[in-house]
Amino acid sequence: MKLPDGRLVRSRVVSDPRTVLVDALDRGLTGYAVLEPQGSLLLDDDGRGVLTFAEGVPVVAYHTGTERGGPPALADLAASGPYRLNLYAVRPGALDAVHDRASFRVPPGMAADRLAGDQSLADRTRELAPEDWTTERTHDSASSGERSVGAVEAFLDDERKIEAIREEARAEARERAEEWGFGDVG
Amino acid sequence: MVEAFAVASGKGGTGKTTSTLALGMALAEEYDVTVVDADMGMANLLFHAGLADVETTLHDVLVEGGASVDAAVYRRHGMRVVPCGTSLGDFAAADPTRLREVVATLAADTDVILLDSAATLSSRAAVLPIVLADRVVVVLEPTIPALSDGLKVQEYASSYDTGTAGILFNKVRDGDAIDRIAPKAERYFEGPTLASVPASDAVRAARRAGQPLLAYAPESTAAAAYRQAASELSVRDRDSGTVADRFRSAVVPESP
Repeated sequence: MKLPDGRLVRSRVVSDPRTVLVDALDRGLTGYAVLEPQGSLLLDDDGRGVLTFAEGVPVVAYHTGTERGGPPALADLAASGPYRLNLYAVRPGALDAVHDRASFRVPPGMAADRLAGDQSLADRTRELAPEDWTTERTHDSASSGERSVGAVEAFLDDERKIEAIREEARAEARERAEEWGFGDVG
Repeated sequence: MVEAFAVASGKGGTGKTTSTLALGMALAEEYDVTVVDADMGMANLLFHAGLADVETTLHDVLVEGGASVDAAVYRRHGMRVVPCGTSLGDFAAADPTRLREVVATLAADTDVILLDSAATLSSRAAVLPIVLADRVVVVLEPTIPALSDGLKVQEYASSYDTGTAGILFNKVRDGDAIDRIAPKAERYFEGPTLASVPASDAVRAARRAGQPLLAYAPESTAAAAYRQAASELSVRDRDSGTVADRFRSAVVPESP
């Protein structure tokens, strides 16, 4: 996916993808975010996540590691934080070619709803999305002819990532049990 | 017999307290149920159960030389309810590890104990209910962070020999594809999907009215889903004395 050059408007480390969505929405950003996992959960989980925005509303998601686009790319980004976030603004129309790739599109509220788990942010985002964006239905509904995999399903299909989350939690539980004096655990 | 369940999620906003009281009321049709607000740092069960004005709460029991457990037990909606206060000063003065003794005392005289747990795994007080419970009921929403945090709860629980009784999907909306998500999630959780509870205005209205959902809107679809969840939950027949001993002997240090 070829991204146009943009003006860097923010560069920082964020722990939660929600921060990115709120920032883009509040700015009404037309541009894109590049999220690079720092100290990733999975050692071989390299690659960056790209999320484009039109006036603050997410349009396209892509992951350079898995080379997946659309909702599965949101799942590829999940649970890999903290991330180094670079947020770029572009001139109007500069992302038109990128946004034309229908298979990379995500429903306007999906990133807020599924990746960030923030329903009210998702509702705010959907309200700002132009009415002719009908991708919400095509991606979420099984009756759309071409059944797309949603972000949550793609996350649950990623057994390697889920196992990594579980392993990390087990290690953390053991470590804290010792710290908190919960006795011999594990 | 008695079995203690921690109703937990690891993430805030999933509807743990609503779920705890709803499961409690549904289980109370068959069992003697005691509900404890074990979210000691951010208690809110008292607001859901119409107990906002009570004198004695769990905080008062958890301080040195404090009230007896009985003084903080209120009979409401066919259950025994132990609310927790909301003062941070009281939380600071309380010794959460005394919860072990409280649960052990309650276990002598009930069939089911439901511990409404904290929405975090980041402190000893928050994790303690999961350590003390026999099994957890993991409350989820069909989102990546809720599932991710729910998995962490299960791993913490199993690290402390606490099993998973089941998962409960809450705030489910049309188009969530829950029929596809739930079976995929079940592959990773030890327990079955107890129910899928639809998002419902009745839940908010019940909270505003200071009543549990099953008292406020017993005919709602959400209430029906919770009754379904309760019927799926198999309560184990365990000896009260054994369970009380387990709580009392749980290896928890006395000082913070």
